[in-house]
Amino acid sequence: MSWLLIILYKSVWGGIAALGFAALFNVPVRSFFHIFLFGGIGVFIKFTLLHFNFNIALSSLAGAVAIGFLSIPAAHYKHTPPLIFYIPAVIPMIPGILAYRMILGLITLTGNPKLANYSATLYETINFGLKVVFILISLSVGVVIPMLLLRKESVKDIKVPFTKK
Amino acid sequence: MAEIENNLDVEEMKEMADVLLKTGTLLMSAGANTGRVRTTVHRMAEAFGYTIDLHISQRSIWLTMLNEHGASIFTIVRVTPAHVINFRTISGISKMSWSLFEERWTIHQLNEELQRLEKLPRFPRWLVLTLVGLAGAGFCSLADGTPIEQAFTFIASFLGLYVRQEALKGGFNPYVSVYFSAFAASLIAGSASKLGLSDSQNHAYVTSVLFLIPGVPLINSFSDILDGNVQNGVTRGFVGFLISFSIALGILTSALIYQF
Repeated sequence: MSWLLIILYKSVWGGIAALGFAALFNVPVRSFFHIFLFGGIGVFIKFTLLHFNFNIALSSLAGAVAIGFLSIPAAHYKHTPPLIFYIPAVIPMIPGILAYRMILGLITLTGNPKLANYSATLYETINFGLKVVFILISLSVGVVIPMLLLRKESVKDIKVPFTKK
Repeated sequence: MAEIENNLDVEEMKEMADVLLKTGTLLMSAGANTGRVRTTVHRMAEAFGYTIDLHISQRSIWLTMLNEHGASIFTIVRVTPAHVINFRTISGISKMSWSLFEERWTIHQLNEELQRLEKLPRFPRWLVLTLVGLAGAGFCSLADGTPIEQAFTFIASFLGLYVRQEALKGGFNPYVSVYFSAFAASLIAGSASKLGLSDSQNHAYVTSVLFLIPGVPLINSFSDILDGNVQNGVTRGFVGFLISFSIALGILTSALIYQF
């Protein structure tokens, strides 16, 4: 079960990362706790699925969709639009390391055309780049999927069970 | 006589259009997606019994007042102030747009509330810097960094954001500010590898710049495109791409210095 503990530890740091963006975006103070929670949940889902060998883009998509769904009852409960929860909460899932490796690969490819392992570097760079692009699309589309599925113009029109009127 | 009444009507309409545009531009500059701006402004106009048409772009909003037959009476344009993300404003305007329906607000109440929303306080600077520093440490942990590397990322993100704020205050172009910030942060975090405190993966160095990620433009870009506001979505996407590119340039400059 040690993998679960490691993932939980990472989820807490994921929540803290979401809080940093919450402060940067000047969110209302009452939404802080939910942003921390959703940031952690997103990271937890992503890393758990990765542990079970799911594709990284799919894992990120699942995390983002979960955050999108959770933002709707939170928006009702805290009287603030859902984007205030979902934007800071998905940012910890952005693949920084992969993006860095892609850029590094591009620089190598540009600067060293006579490199011995040129084709290996090329394959690697394309792979990293594709992953980055698909993860970014998964995250941005994932958080708005719930709103698209529920087909309402405003969250106020969505009936949420167990919330006060 | 009818003409005078008509003139009064137009004056009132102009006042209303002014309030609507103020709300719209405030929302846009605070980082709302185009669909939200459109829905909110239309909802407000409806509450006062006016019919309007809108054209929303990244830098300005056009509004046409329509009469009961759907013919245009006048069109006005307002330029959007510089985009500074402020979710507290978005939340406040969302609340306002609902309570003006339920409590039958007058236009003066609306104006007062807008003036209040324009001057909403931000978090104290030390708090934002500390939380963003911790966010950097969080990113480092997510990338399998050790606690020592996390400490380096904390300092790097803290000072990196400080550099960005100072550069913006000094009147630098936003992208140039991001470049300075990414360069400063990666230069500080890269020292962990040079001091032998980081393994060959350079976790601290790579994750120190992630607090600069243009999350709002990238996510809003897709919400706008999915919503049919393709033009604004493409604009936002390109802004996000340029910010990412500035980050990459900053981190590469320090890579050149450190010979990574």
